[in-house]
Amino acid sequence: MTPTPKPPLPDENEPLRPHSFDGIQEYDKRLPNWWLMTLFGAVVFWAGYWFYYERAHIGHTNAQIVEQQLAVIEATRLANAPTVDDASLWKMSRNPVFVDAGRASFETTCVSCHTKELTGAIGPNLVDHLWIHGGRPTEIYTTVTQGVLAKGMPPWGPVLGPKKISEAVAYILSYHQEGEPIEVQAAWVPPPPK
Amino acid sequence: MSGQKITIEYNDRVVRQFLLATVIWGAVGMLVGVLIAAQLNFWQLNFATPWLTFGRLRPLHTNAVIFAFVGNMMFAGIYYSTQRLVKARLASDFLSSLHFWGWQFIIVCAAVTLPLGLTRGKEYAELIWPINLMVVLIWVVFAVNFFWTLARRREPALYVAIWFYISTIVTIAMLYIVNHLSIPTSLLHSYPVFSGVQDALVQWWYGHNAVAFFLTTPILGIMYYFLPKAAERPVYSYRLSVVHFWSLVFVYIWAGPHHLLNTALPGWLQNLGMTFSLMLWAPSWGGMLNGLLTLRGAWHKLRTDPVLKFYAAAVTFYGMATFEGPLLSIKSVNALAHYTDWIIGHVHAGTLGWNGFMAAGLIYWLLPRLWNKPLYSTALANLHFWIGTVGILLYVAAMWTSGITQGLMLNATTEHGTVLAYPNFLDTLNTIRPMMLMRVIGGGLYLAGWFLLVYNFYRTVKGAAPVNGTIEVYDEAPAPDAKLSLAGTFFSAPTLFWFLAVGFSSMWMFGTDLVSTAGIVGAVACLIAAFALVPSRSQAWGGWYEKLLLNALPFTLLVFFAVVAGGLIQIIPTVLVQKAKNVEDRIQTPYTPLELAGRDIYIREGCYLCHSQMIRTLVPDILRYGDYSRLGESIYDHPFQWGSKRTGPDLARVGVKYPNVWHFRHMENPRAVSPGSNMPTYPWLFSHALDASVMPAKIKVQRLLGVPYGPRTAQQIFDSMDEQAKGIAKDLRTAGAYVDSDKEIVALISYLQTLGKSLPVITKSAPR
Repeated sequence: MTPTPKPPLPDENEPLRPHSFDGIQEYDKRLPNWWLMTLFGAVVFWAGYWFYYERAHIGHTNAQIVEQQLAVIEATRLANAPTVDDASLWKMSRNPVFVDAGRASFETTCVSCHTKELTGAIGPNLVDHLWIHGGRPTEIYTTVTQGVLAKGMPPWGPVLGPKKISEAVAYILSYHQEGEPIEVQAAWVPPPPK
Repeated sequence: MSGQKITIEYNDRVVRQFLLATVIWGAVGMLVGVLIAAQLNFWQLNFATPWLTFGRLRPLHTNAVIFAFVGNMMFAGIYYSTQRLVKARLASDFLSSLHFWGWQFIIVCAAVTLPLGLTRGKEYAELIWPINLMVVLIWVVFAVNFFWTLARRREPALYVAIWFYISTIVTIAMLYIVNHLSIPTSLLHSYPVFSGVQDALVQWWYGHNAVAFFLTTPILGIMYYFLPKAAERPVYSYRLSVVHFWSLVFVYIWAGPHHLLNTALPGWLQNLGMTFSLMLWAPSWGGMLNGLLTLRGAWHKLRTDPVLKFYAAAVTFYGMATFEGPLLSIKSVNALAHYTDWIIGHVHAGTLGWNGFMAAGLIYWLLPRLWNKPLYSTALANLHFWIGTVGILLYVAAMWTSGITQGLMLNATTEHGTVLAYPNFLDTLNTIRPMMLMRVIGGGLYLAGWFLLVYNFYRTVKGAAPVNGTIEVYDEAPAPDAKLSLAGTFFSAPTLFWFLAVGFSSMWMFGTDLVSTAGIVGAVACLIAAFALVPSRSQAWGGWYEKLLLNALPFTLLVFFAVVAGGLIQIIPTVLVQKAKNVEDRIQTPYTPLELAGRDIYIREGCYLCHSQMIRTLVPDILRYGDYSRLGESIYDHPFQWGSKRTGPDLARVGVKYPNVWHFRHMENPRAVSPGSNMPTYPWLFSHALDASVMPAKIKVQRLLGVPYGPRTAQQIFDSMDEQAKGIAKDLRTAGAYVDSDKEIVALISYLQTLGKSLPVITKSAPR
């Protein structure tokens, strides 16, 4: 069943290697120059890269680079830290632009525990007058930013940043009135699941 | 030439068997692929059934297409071409049969165990240890059968296809054995001997080179036989074959760490992985060039011949994927692409385009020759080609778009780069949903094309009589000329230059000042000497190489030395370095027995296939998931669970981030707490009782592997589990979630809540 090998096309005068394997013949063409350059170029790059990072240590390690970047971020945050006080948060909570932006953040980030109605499930109710970690606007802001790890509230500061957190707090406050009573609650007891 | 003329009949029966298995397993593997792709879009398709859930079916898909589909195709191609290239029937009919049936038995075992959740928890190395032993045994059978056939060859010289086959057999054996070293805890479960960073390194040394030596080198060998046959044209360049073969097998092994870029893997390994991946571009393209340029003078045949169409497209996809690979290995590109669908697209350009189309070309070419009957329908084969091509293009384009889109969104920051622009992971997931749907359509088209092949296959062989190839040869011993001794193999200029160059370069890379300087001087001297000698000596070296090709054993030894170097240099230092020193500034707290049991559930359900546990040294990762992961934080993890894909968020620091009840509700119905999630539900975790009886044996093995568990009796282990479980169940109860403390969900929650727990370490030492 082995097909007979075909002779090379007559118009070609490229030299074929003398031996054939099961009818397969081989030319012995030169290696393309651009191909060789690619190979050599990659080898040279390897040597240079290794020298730069591992021998001369001019290039920084991953950890060094990221620590530097984090320091810059920290500095930027400090420089741009907004002054958060009760009065301005209350003011924001009456501004529809802030409240709408806050609702958007709340509905992607917070509803999984506090529910869309803010009445609480895994996490506490946010529309009643009971507060576990303080009900003043700045206290709420701090709770969101720093989290309460022991109770499963993640610190949202590094993820959301001060702007989004202010908006989310404004959204929560939009359900409340300035001067309404604040009662301290010891712990959240979730309602039985639906 | 003396001796009698005899007729040899090739063993084409086993080729037909492997070919049939290829067609069937190909259909199965691709079908599962389309199903799991659909599951990512419609979580309901997990059917709330353990053995139909994504995490268990995804290993089935990968193992089926790699080891069952491409494996059987490779064996068919290798056995068909080798017999003809060496003019000898396969050495043993018994071994050939054992190889075939043994391999199919392994596949069936895999298809049963993987959906049952029996897994080692390492990608493409999921099969449990008894199956591992069978794989090794059958691979040895294959090797013996192959090399025995070579020993009986009537064709003295080894053709380039055979070089690639040899490299496949040698290297896969090495990779497979090292990455599957484990200690059993029971008949169906074992823990890998390596942990944390060592396991990660060994895993991707294996994983990357399984791609290289299971999906690439054997298929290149098949290309070198079947493409010139189908095109009826000479191979473009023997010289290119030589250079690209040796550079490919040498360089490939080093590139494994590119799967771990920007992770906690030591920097020197990352740098090696990246630079060697770039070096791999040219050797890979050497294969593509030799394939495509062999078609010179035969391009007009592509219009009519589906076989050549498949080959030309396959080689083109090979070139595309092997350009994309080095690109993705550049650290900064990888920072965007890793863990996203871009990688999935890259892999499928290789598997669907290169492997799948080579398989189709092989099958369409072999069918008429093995059954002595023309192909039932060339038109259907052409249709298969076009449907398949459109399918791949849709698939790959969708995954590029998806991966780049999600990568950009995940990395985007706002407010002067201080906060994430898309803090909710689900926003990014739901943005790429249309692309994920497009992937199902593309994959479905490809599968439809494959069904055309199945039909064509069936119609062609139906009623046809199988026919075995024959050849007339002179019955005589091979010419005794040109025996190359071992000394002649190793003490030859090309080999010595090779060894010296690698040795000197290693001295330069890793040595202290003086050794390093000697290394660079030596390496440069080597380079200059080699180039200076090329004009006068190249003929002699070429002659030596031709002599080497007459000697299978020395050739095989050289291949072994070429592939073993990269592995030794990367793995040995990492394994030898003391665990306690290899931790950076944090060390993991060992799991309690309950947490360990929960971890085994996490592994059983394949959570690692969608969730990483590795926060990279990248700002967006840190902003999203917390401080970057340190080596010490996974040092007791047998196996490591760093992951390779983030369909969901990273979990390295998810411990205590949410209350227990959050995880309870989430596992019950992910969408209850994460609206828009595509995660399956896991109802069985709430009804199955945890099997605590296996824990003493598991802890015993963990201790044996160096995890610092004190001595404790089985009863102590059970008590500790009971106590911790009751505490979690009580906490859940106060939050309104009622579950018995002996259920699997409790153990899983205990594990999830411990992720990221570690202790600071004062002595800081960074091992090289």
